[in-house]
Amino acid sequence: MKRVVSLLFLAALAVLLLYVVANMPPMGDPQSPTRTHVVPKYLEDAQEETHAPNVITGIILNYRGYDTMGEVTVIFCALAGVLAVLGREKRGRIYAYADRSRVKSSTIVKTMVRFTVPFIILFSVYTILHGEISPGGGFQGGAIIGASMIIFTTVFGLYESSQRIPQKLRLPLEGSAVLTFFTVGVLGMVGGGNFLTYAWPHIAVSLQPAVVVWLTILVEIGIGLGGAMVFISILFSMIREGEEVAVVP
Amino acid sequence: MGPALNIILIALLVITALTATFSRDLLAAVIIFSVYSLIMCLMWQRLQAPDLALTEAAVGAGVTTVLFVVAIFKTRRKEER
Repeated sequence: MKRVVSLLFLAALAVLLLYVVANMPPMGDPQSPTRTHVVPKYLEDAQEETHAPNVITGIILNYRGYDTMGEVTVIFCALAGVLAVLGREKRGRIYAYADRSRVKSSTIVKTMVRFTVPFIILFSVYTILHGEISPGGGFQGGAIIGASMIIFTTVFGLYESSQRIPQKLRLPLEGSAVLTFFTVGVLGMVGGGNFLTYAWPHIAVSLQPAVVVWLTILVEIGIGLGGAMVFISILFSMIREGEEVAVVP
Repeated sequence: MGPALNIILIALLVITALTATFSRDLLAAVIIFSVYSLIMCLMWQRLQAPDLALTEAAVGAGVTTVLFVVAIFKTRRKEER
C-alpha cells in the first residue's frame, strides 16, 4: 500500500515536472524572460560600472554583493556547526595519531604529491587573483587550496599537514571572508556611497577605476583564504574525531 | 557531434545517479558520485558556465568526496538493510 502511494506520488511529480519543462522557453531564445529584464543592463553597463572584464565576477561581487555576503556567512556558519559538534584541538597542540590504514602510502605516491601540491596551490593563487578577468574567483581558488591540502592530508596523515598549517594560522584566517566583505562594505559607506559600494563617490573620478579594481581583488583574496581555511578545518576536525592519541610531542 | 555528446552526457548522468543511489557499498557510491560531479562539470562547461564548472570540479569531485570518504572511514562501509 505504502509503495503504491509513493509510486503514484512520484508519477504525479514526474508528470508535473515534465509539463513545466515542456513549457520552458528553448535554450538560447533571445525573447526568454531571463534575457529581457535585467541581463541586458548587466551586459551593457558591467564593464563601465564594475571595471571587471569578467561580467560574472562583476555581478557576483558588485550587483549582487548582498547575496555573496550571505553565502560567505553560510559557509562560515557550516564551519561553526562542525566545530560545535566535533570540537577543536587544544590551543597550540599538534597530536599524532595511530595509523589505522591497512595500506601504507608508497614512496612513489608521496613523491608525486610532494611534486604536484605546490603547482596546485600556484594554480589556485592564479584563480583567485585572476578572478575578475577570467573564469574563477575567490571561492573556486579557495576550494582548490582546500583540495590540495586534502590530497596532502590523505597521503601524509594529519600530523604532517597540521604542522604545515597549524591552528595559529587557521584561526584568524577562517573568518577572513566575512570580515573582508564587511570591511569593504563599510569602507564604501566611509567613501560616501551605500553599503558595499565599490566606487567611492567622494574621490576623484580618475581614481575610481583603480579603487574598484583593488577592492574587488581584496575581497577575492579574503574569500579565497577564508574558504580554504574553512575546508581544511572541517577536514581536520572530521579526521580527528574518535582517533586515539598515540604520541603527544 | 554536439547533440550526440549532450545525449551521452545526460545518459551517463542518469546512470551514475541511479547507481550511486542503489549501491549498497557506500564507498562505491561515493566514488560514483564523484564521477557524477565530473560529468556535471563537463555539462556546465558545455552550457558555457566555466565558473560553475570550476566550482563543481573542485568542490563536488574533490572536497565533498574526501569528506564522505572520511565519514565512511569513521563509521561503516556497508549500508544496513
